[in-house]
Amino acid sequence: MRPFNKYWAIFKIQLLNVMAYPSELLGRSFSIIIFMLVFASLWRTAYGIAGTDTLQGITLPGMLWYLMIAETIELSRPRVSTTISRQVKTGELAYVLNKPYNFLAYHFSTSFADSLFRMLTNALIGGIVVSLMFGSPPPAWGWPLAAIALIGAWALNFCMMALIGLAAFITEEISSFEWIFQKALFILGGMMIPLEFLPGWLRTVAERLPFAYAMYGPARLFIDPSLEGFYSLLAGQLVWLLVLGGALALAYNRGARYLAVNGG
Amino acid sequence: MPAIKVTDLKKVFKSKRKEAGMLGSLRSLTHPEYKTIEAVCGLSFEMEAGELLGFIGPNGAGKSTTIKILTGILFPTGGDASVLGYTPWRDRHKLAYQIGTVFGQRPQLWYHLPAIDTFTLFGKIYELDELVLKRRIGFLAETFEIGDLLEIPVRKLSLGQRMRCETAASLLHSPKLLLLDEPSIGLDVVAKQRIRDAIREMSKLENVGVLLTSHDAGDLEALCRRVIIINHGQIVYHDKVSNLKRKYLTSKLVEVRYAAEVNQDFQIYGMETLKVGRYGVKLRFDTKNTSVDLVMSRLSEKGSLVDITISDPPLEEVIARIYEEAA
Amino acid sequence: MLKRELTFLFALWRANLQGAMEFRVSFLLQIFGMVANNLLYFAFWPVFFSHFDDIHGWTLNDMLIVMAIVSFSWGIMTFLFGNFNFISEVIANGRLDYYLSLPRPVLTHLLASRSNVSGLGDIAFGVVAYLLSGQFQPEQILRLLFGVCISGTILLFFMTLVHSLTFWVGNATELGNLGVNALLTFSLYPITIFDNTARFFLIIFVPALLVGSVPAQFVKAFSWQGLVQLSLGALVLTALAITVFTRGLRRYESGSAIQVEV
Repeated sequence: MRPFNKYWAIFKIQLLNVMAYPSELLGRSFSIIIFMLVFASLWRTAYGIAGTDTLQGITLPGMLWYLMIAETIELSRPRVSTTISRQVKTGELAYVLNKPYNFLAYHFSTSFADSLFRMLTNALIGGIVVSLMFGSPPPAWGWPLAAIALIGAWALNFCMMALIGLAAFITEEISSFEWIFQKALFILGGMMIPLEFLPGWLRTVAERLPFAYAMYGPARLFIDPSLEGFYSLLAGQLVWLLVLGGALALAYNRGARYLAVNGG
Repeated sequence: MPAIKVTDLKKVFKSKRKEAGMLGSLRSLTHPEYKTIEAVCGLSFEMEAGELLGFIGPNGAGKSTTIKILTGILFPTGGDASVLGYTPWRDRHKLAYQIGTVFGQRPQLWYHLPAIDTFTLFGKIYELDELVLKRRIGFLAETFEIGDLLEIPVRKLSLGQRMRCETAASLLHSPKLLLLDEPSIGLDVVAKQRIRDAIREMSKLENVGVLLTSHDAGDLEALCRRVIIINHGQIVYHDKVSNLKRKYLTSKLVEVRYAAEVNQDFQIYGMETLKVGRYGVKLRFDTKNTSVDLVMSRLSEKGSLVDITISDPPLEEVIARIYEEAA
Repeated sequence: MLKRELTFLFALWRANLQGAMEFRVSFLLQIFGMVANNLLYFAFWPVFFSHFDDIHGWTLNDMLIVMAIVSFSWGIMTFLFGNFNFISEVIANGRLDYYLSLPRPVLTHLLASRSNVSGLGDIAFGVVAYLLSGQFQPEQILRLLFGVCISGTILLFFMTLVHSLTFWVGNATELGNLGVNALLTFSLYPITIFDNTARFFLIIFVPALLVGSVPAQFVKAFSWQGLVQLSLGALVLTALAITVFTRGLRRYESGSAIQVEV
């Protein structure tokens, strides 16, 4: 229980830290309004032109609720790559090594606290915007399922972002990896458009990649909740978490050893 | 058992040498060339439990590297070290519960939050009992005179106040050994004095060993009984502070300003004149032969004094003298 | 007078570029990274248009022209005047002191003091998008150049305007982020998805259409309406932004009031 207490305390202090500037917190959540307005205009027109109620099995309100969840995930992803790469580059990493906590678990706790607020405010504001334009959200019994899947998605994103951050051991400049990762989420993860719209072969590939489990999965589950879908999504998330978590632990250990030999 | 025992410690850094141009960058990817820097070369010393040991030397002498090895942050290239019975780089985690560290240029307090929040966090990180932590904070608040600072966001504290909070934070888990890397850097005279007093007090009360690096001779005069001077990764001097003082820190620099213009062949018996300006004079004297009292009275005989500063010669000068004697 | 300022600007840009080239690997990574980034971003449109032939007359080809113009103008501005997105930060941290203490126009100097290498990647991508769009007639090229100039001017001065609010409201960094998100997002979608109210809003308040769709239409076919909209928009916004910034300078509180973060 004690180690858990430790990271719980780290999580709490970061919550306090985030709340030190409440106006900034709120200010950040307005961007989702812009995105939802654009998506609404685009898809309203597209459904109008198609003249059908559903496209690829998704209704217009369903599409907007899907995009709202996807955008929430995108906007509240952990920004841990920037922090980690800075710590690697400035040698700050060496100084956290002599505290009795695990470096990755530490970042996991702080970035979860960071994301939690964003996730809540984005989902709330985005939800209000979509409700006003397209009516009530999908059935409430699916929300807890989606919420759990959101946490899984968040953890997957954490692993990938932390891996990008650790790339700073190899190259100073990691922002291009961040951009490309983000765009992979946009297309292969289904942030801009549900995977159903991709050409068949690409869809088959994309559905098996971690990006889809970190983005498309939870958003799709939210508009079409089912227990089966939930279990298979969770299983997929778990497999990728094991793979990516393992890769992350490996990368970190190698990096820390390199640092201990070469200095900060 | 000594608190710290270091034998023939070595640390060599390798850094990739990069050639100019795109081709050069490519070549350094396939055939990397390294240049080596010997940061620490064959250091050996011991420190008893509860001792106050000063570790001084100019920037880049290898002080910080040594401290980093002793906390387990860095692996040494060669040699051996034992800290509180642990080999730091092998038992870093266990050692972390037993030592406290302050890196003057690396704040550990959360910048936007009051220090008390970081203290509570550290309580959890070091797995302290809640009641114990509370009592401990009370005690440290008194010793470091930070009781009324704890609720203020750290960003609003002065550097001196912040360093006192930093040092108190590093003592929360009652470590047996405190490693301080440049704790007084950037502080004014009063702030330096307050933090030194608190550290000395803690060492006396709890028998905490203190290893302190600094490039300020004042730190070790005020705090330490023994001193190690290193330069270029090697020990150039290792003795009691009292001996060092007697041998090297005997000369003092004096700068005076008079109300009226001074004579250009300004001379005082027992003092060496270094520079004469229009109103000001710079002199040196040796405390072995001439007392400060005497200097003061002789200076004031020469005219009405406007300003006077007495200071130690800079450490670089002392080291240069130690070198000269060794050669 | 103008010549002296230009000489100064060129010297600044040269220093920026040389500074960036010092780190060759990261220099190239940023450029190629940005090209890849934009390609992936644009991939949405082929996917989208594989399900619809056109959106009220707007096709994939139109999106290529939009993308070319926005990439060019964004790339040029972030490379030459890269500080436009950081004005709030500079003002709020009191770092304007530096620019105010030098005998050069404050706004120009401030804007040109940062250069984002990734902007070169945007420019490179813009070239690719333009080549794919097939608008090669000489007068189209002229209109493209004109469109890019207008688009860049509006981008630059809209952001200057938003960030200058820092002089009145404290730190407008978040407002700036919101502004840049709005401007870019709305500019990268077909104009035909917006109704008339939305179009009015997206020209007058957040001039996103003047950054993307309107110049793109103008490249395809000349129209007096397009010419007037674009020229007028750029002129008014430039005048407004410079006035507001200059007014704001009188309220500048310097670094004394603000703690600098360590």
